[in-house]
Amino acid sequence: MSTIRPRSLPAYLLALPAGLWMFGAVVMPALLILWVSLWGGTAFGPGNPITLANYERFFANASYRGLIANTFLHTLMLMAITGVLGYGIAYFLVMKVRSRAWRTALFLAFIIPFWTSALIRAIAWVPFLGVNGVINQALMGLGITERPIEIFLYSRTGISMAQVSLYTLMASGPVVYMLAQIPPSLREAAMTLKAPPGVVFRRVIFPLTLPGVVIGQVLVFLSVMADFATVQWIGGNKIALLPNLILNFYEGAQLRAAAVVSVVLMACMLVGTFIAMRVVDIRKLGT
Amino acid sequence: MHWRTRSRLMTALLGTLTVGFLLYQWLPVFTLGLLSFSGPTGGTTFPMNGVSLHWYRELIEASIMNDFKPPFGRSVLLAAACSVVTCVLAVASAQAMRGRFRGHNLFFYLLLLGIMAPGLLVGFGVAIMGRLLGIEPAWNTTAFFVQVSWTLPFGFLVMLAIFNRFDSRLEEAALTLGANRITTFRRITLPIVLPGVIGAALFGFTLSYDEFPRTMFTSGADMTLPLAVMAQLDRELTPELYAIGTATTLLSLVAILACTLILVSLRRTARPGS
Amino acid sequence: MEYDLEIVALRKKYGGFTAVDDVSLRVGKGQFVCLLGPSGCGKTTTLRCVAGLEEPDEGDILIGGRNVTQDPPWERDIAMMFQDFALFPHMTVEKQVGFGLEMRKWPALKRDKRVAEVLKAFEIDRFANRKPGSLSGGQRQRVALARAMITEPRLLLLDEPIGALDYSLRETVMIELKTLQRRTGISFIWVTHDQNEAFSLGDLVVVMNHAKIEQQGTPEEILQRPRTPFVAGFVQGNNVFHGKVEDVRGAEARIGTASGSFVVPVLDLKPQPGQAASFSVRAERLRPAPPEGWPNRLATSCRTVEYFGSVRRYILERPDGEVMKLDQFGAEPAFLMAEGAAEIGWPTEAGVLHG
Repeated sequence: MSTIRPRSLPAYLLALPAGLWMFGAVVMPALLILWVSLWGGTAFGPGNPITLANYERFFANASYRGLIANTFLHTLMLMAITGVLGYGIAYFLVMKVRSRAWRTALFLAFIIPFWTSALIRAIAWVPFLGVNGVINQALMGLGITERPIEIFLYSRTGISMAQVSLYTLMASGPVVYMLAQIPPSLREAAMTLKAPPGVVFRRVIFPLTLPGVVIGQVLVFLSVMADFATVQWIGGNKIALLPNLILNFYEGAQLRAAAVVSVVLMACMLVGTFIAMRVVDIRKLGT
Repeated sequence: MHWRTRSRLMTALLGTLTVGFLLYQWLPVFTLGLLSFSGPTGGTTFPMNGVSLHWYRELIEASIMNDFKPPFGRSVLLAAACSVVTCVLAVASAQAMRGRFRGHNLFFYLLLLGIMAPGLLVGFGVAIMGRLLGIEPAWNTTAFFVQVSWTLPFGFLVMLAIFNRFDSRLEEAALTLGANRITTFRRITLPIVLPGVIGAALFGFTLSYDEFPRTMFTSGADMTLPLAVMAQLDRELTPELYAIGTATTLLSLVAILACTLILVSLRRTARPGS
Repeated sequence: MEYDLEIVALRKKYGGFTAVDDVSLRVGKGQFVCLLGPSGCGKTTTLRCVAGLEEPDEGDILIGGRNVTQDPPWERDIAMMFQDFALFPHMTVEKQVGFGLEMRKWPALKRDKRVAEVLKAFEIDRFANRKPGSLSGGQRQRVALARAMITEPRLLLLDEPIGALDYSLRETVMIELKTLQRRTGISFIWVTHDQNEAFSLGDLVVVMNHAKIEQQGTPEEILQRPRTPFVAGFVQGNNVFHGKVEDVRGAEARIGTASGSFVVPVLDLKPQPGQAASFSVRAERLRPAPPEGWPNRLATSCRTVEYFGSVRRYILERPDGEVMKLDQFGAEPAFLMAEGAAEIGWPTEAGVLHG
């Protein structure tokens, strides 16, 4: 018994405004993008014929195809880096830090930047990465290089460096959650059954955190695939990935092309998420 | 190697990794803060060329070209509006979820979609929708509409978590004492979950205040603060942007701190009779 | 004499808190040992030191004569059963029970055969392909036990192993475990706070309090001859008196307490007049209206009577305000009425001097 009766009319009515709002602001626009991507003709309006010509034109261009592959590769690389880094940090925070106060402090230090503006954080990387930036000054100061290295700003390296700092938390957070759920006695039980630490990790800890790893990887995948902003600000106009193409077409008033790229991006994200959920069948863990 | 040595080595390795990453994550933010205090001739990187509040003064006494005050005002108003709407809708939808109505799982995923769907696509889609419906994009109409679809799901998740911990026997007690459902909700449920509601509101505020991919497509000619910063970044990177970044980050930190304190205090009061 | 387990002067501190203080214990071959004590007395920490899950600050642990103090858990000849059973949620019962053999690198065929045997012996073969999440408390307990026993360790460590079970199941499981222990000859170290468990199962009962061993011995020794006031008070049915030795005459000593002075046998002890002393009398040895010849008598008032069926227990108030208990065989007509003054007493030989 509570203040709301199960399956009652008020429950529907309470859910209705939020449901309509989300449908109108998220689902409808996605459907509209799909529709616009199929428009023939040149006018903007519902009267256009439906055609696949826009897609044919897009996929006929080899550089666009390359961009899709590039975007995937870039995303996979970031998933790998943030995955390893995120798991290591999560493991350290949950399993290795004994003192509660330290764990809370480190965890806050880890999580707080996530709630500040991504825009500001990306800007903060600029003085670091430039030719006269902090990294180059440090490298030269230490005598590692004589002349500034230009690979940081306006490059893939710089973009990746900033994105690693932005997205590692996403890979790590779900793992932290899963690790914290594991009762310490499971590890101890495995040890008394003659499993050395490496085996305990491989056979008990890791399988139990696998769902967290997958969720983290999906979050990183979705974020990096759609991250036009970091690419634009750190990469300047020299580097572009799939999401930047949407923006370019939009600014060039090529709505149909922008819609096509959007649909391709959506499809990639859906497929990626689907594969991730498939690769790890959570029900078959550890058998 | 002895097993204990190996374990210590592992701890040291992971500790170095963690501390290293934290430094990596924080150093740019600190640098930004530091450089925002450089002198009038200061550039966008080291050396600092003196210490001054010049760039903060610049923010306040700005020329029309790069005046951040109107965008700031718009951003605050928009964030406040989003935060209020988020609160109301989040409480309503979380309460609805407790009713386990038919299709509540679908409803849950619909809200989750607002978090998962990339802002770029949502913003673009709403821009198309606006044009099809002949609605002129503006920061206080279309941008507001799309921003709530971003802040609401987070508020919803917060309220779900709060209601999960809520002990519904308290409601049962009130109902057996003769209060009807609405009175019970108003007099018992709401006061108890109130700190969570405030948390959701603050959360919604910061999310809206920092939002740009959705707003970018839907705000029309009058920009919000992140968009103004982006525009300035496209023109020229100046320490003024560092100043604004520092100020904004501090504002966010205050909001997070308030949020955390509220959630902590909630945790203390949520346990009935203990 | 070979011991399955020897603990020598074990000490373990957590910061300023001493969890185990100078604990020494010897467990002969195939013994059933119960570590008994209130929560926080150090019994679980002692067990975890034996398992290797905690590192002792001082002292030695020998398993089967070999010093294992520096060895990690996975190199000790032990198995452990945890209070919450600690079953791996992602492994089937079959996989789970075979885990220990897998770690010992048994070949798969031999392992499967042995697992099948053990599952059958523990009557859990029906659940071989299920995961722990879908099992009941009793079934989980069996899986945990099978998982620990399959490797035939020298020592099985059990940390409140039936505490998580329904009350109605505990009796049955206790009998089964005792039989199993007898049959296999594996030494059991059983940690519990429940004295019924300890006294009905243990060959040796070790009573601990405040990080130290208070007394160890057979259940009979502990029940009949508590050596410290703590043990006497912890074991149900004792009335404890604190006081000073007034004088000693032959085999009897007179102890002065706040409720009067009483005569107790000195047993094998050598009390000196003036010394602080304590003794206890079992509740069933007290009688109302004591005969003339009994030197120990006491005016009390009866507060209430609890009737347990086999026993009728009178809660009495001593002159110094402390509570005493007097037990009477339940089938007899009641001695006393509730809420009335009553003189009670006991024969000299019923008193047990501590020390």
